[in-house]
Amino acid sequence: MRIVVCLKQVPATTSEKRYTADLRLDRAASEAVINPLDEYAIEQALRLQEAGSVDSVGFLSMGPEPATEALRRALAMGGDDATLVTDPALGGADTWATARVLATALDKLAPDVSLMGMASDDARGSLVPGAVAALRGLPLLSYGSELRIEGTAARVRRLTATGFDIIEAPLPVVASVTDQVGEPRYASLKGIMAAKRKPMETWSLADIGLAADDLHGAALTRVIEARKPEAKAPTERVENVSADEAVTRIADWLAARKLI
Amino acid sequence: MANDIAFLAEYADGAPSRSALELAAGAAELAEQSGGEPVALAYGPGAADAAALGAAGAARAVVLGDAAAPAITCAGAAAAALSEIAPMAVLAPATPNGRDLAAALIGLLNVPGFGPVRAVRVEDGRVRSEQATLQGTVITVSEPADGAPQPAVVLVLPSTFTPREGGSGKATVTPAKAGDAGPFGAARVVESHPADAKVANLEEASIIVAGGRGVGSADGFATLEELAAALGGAVGASRAAADAGWVPYQLQIGQTGKVVKPALYVGCGISGAIQHRVGMQTAENVLAINKDPDAPIGEFADLFVVGDLFAIVPKLTAEIRRRKGT
Repeated sequence: MRIVVCLKQVPATTSEKRYTADLRLDRAASEAVINPLDEYAIEQALRLQEAGSVDSVGFLSMGPEPATEALRRALAMGGDDATLVTDPALGGADTWATARVLATALDKLAPDVSLMGMASDDARGSLVPGAVAALRGLPLLSYGSELRIEGTAARVRRLTATGFDIIEAPLPVVASVTDQVGEPRYASLKGIMAAKRKPMETWSLADIGLAADDLHGAALTRVIEARKPEAKAPTERVENVSADEAVTRIADWLAARKLI
Repeated sequence: MANDIAFLAEYADGAPSRSALELAAGAAELAEQSGGEPVALAYGPGAADAAALGAAGAARAVVLGDAAAPAITCAGAAAAALSEIAPMAVLAPATPNGRDLAAALIGLLNVPGFGPVRAVRVEDGRVRSEQATLQGTVITVSEPADGAPQPAVVLVLPSTFTPREGGSGKATVTPAKAGDAGPFGAARVVESHPADAKVANLEEASIIVAGGRGVGSADGFATLEELAAALGGAVGASRAAADAGWVPYQLQIGQTGKVVKPALYVGCGISGAIQHRVGMQTAENVLAINKDPDAPIGEFADLFVVGDLFAIVPKLTAEIRRRKGT
């Protein structure tokens, strides 16, 4: 039983973001981290490995060469091996192109579970897991607050509007998990040392049998404008007043906006 | 037709969800711009009655399925219907089900994906999507690349469009062609716990009173519930409050919870960390009550009251009831 966790290197949530002249994110200008929501997928995979449900855990990322750092950090948390798909033709890849590349690489790695975080911190579309499942022709188990392996099937616990369902599909599957699977572990010093000796492969597009032409120039979409958000109206502050005064101010504010 | 605008219409408990009504209005608006027709792709319990979506704006409707199965199991039928309709765009709600279906369509049809968007329009014959990315620090406008196949799949945030009121008319309904559900059909619900949490559906609420770490306990949330009741709204929470077990996770607002856009958001004892902010920053009016004058929420609230929520909220509840005469 093998899980491959897909992870993305993203700019740190709090770092400043810049766009290049051709409207792409200037990734060199920002501190890079493992997408925080992918760390939960890593944690889920490692817990399943520790529980004996899974024999091996691999990591897969697509991105420029420095993304090997994110993979090395994941290997420091645990797991067995990592693969980076990197190619100059992939700059500016959109959701579809990313899914196509990951799906093709996952077909080659052929894990029982292809696992992902529920969203990336930068784009927040949550579209890659479902698109990868579609491209691979596999069932999708998404938004799991827990993932389990039950014989030849996988199960997720998934929240609904007012409760939860347990959803099952036969292996192999593509799955995504939420931040409720448990807090991601920190890499230990021993883990960091061990990670240096774990196998890491780098694949080009040609290595997975894709050509740049298969990816429609890395995107079916294009950005035609990038700008700063509109400045919002300044905050009205109420402080150093009694509770009664604060209540009057709030009620007047609500009434002025026809909210009461 | 190449100018039609399709949308995913999710049904639950026999009625269209709020997102279905919003997207019906949105598809009608875009169809006017493109010169096509708005077409519903309806699924979920009650979807057989999709003719009624005519009043919401739809000209036609295809019923993908009306079973209480996971939404993703309709992906194959949705892809087949879209291949036949060949619309310019398909709008999907930015809910977990809507995202799953949108994602499946991108992969099944090899078409461009956009969003989640806060605005979308048809201009110069192209679908243009406006999106806040990188935690809302940048607004981008995107469109399909030259030669990209249709339809554009567009995830739409809640409250981007306003449902039509007082409409009439019936959409022409056609059932989806029976076909192989494909691999997505293999997912099935093996256990269902529909009422594990007795909570309102936050995505449907127009007023939300949210509590965070500063609420301190499950009992503290009772104070917020009274305010929410007086305002006619629902209670939400930050991840800290859900993690502490004071409220169920279904009430969590933020990056990994619900994304909401109510007319009024009241944050009580919520610091306003970026992960929470991305779930509520498009609320029309933001009121924050917090003891900490330096809480980040003070930088983006419309009205920021520095004070003890337990001193203020009960009095505020009484004052609102007095003014409303309830």
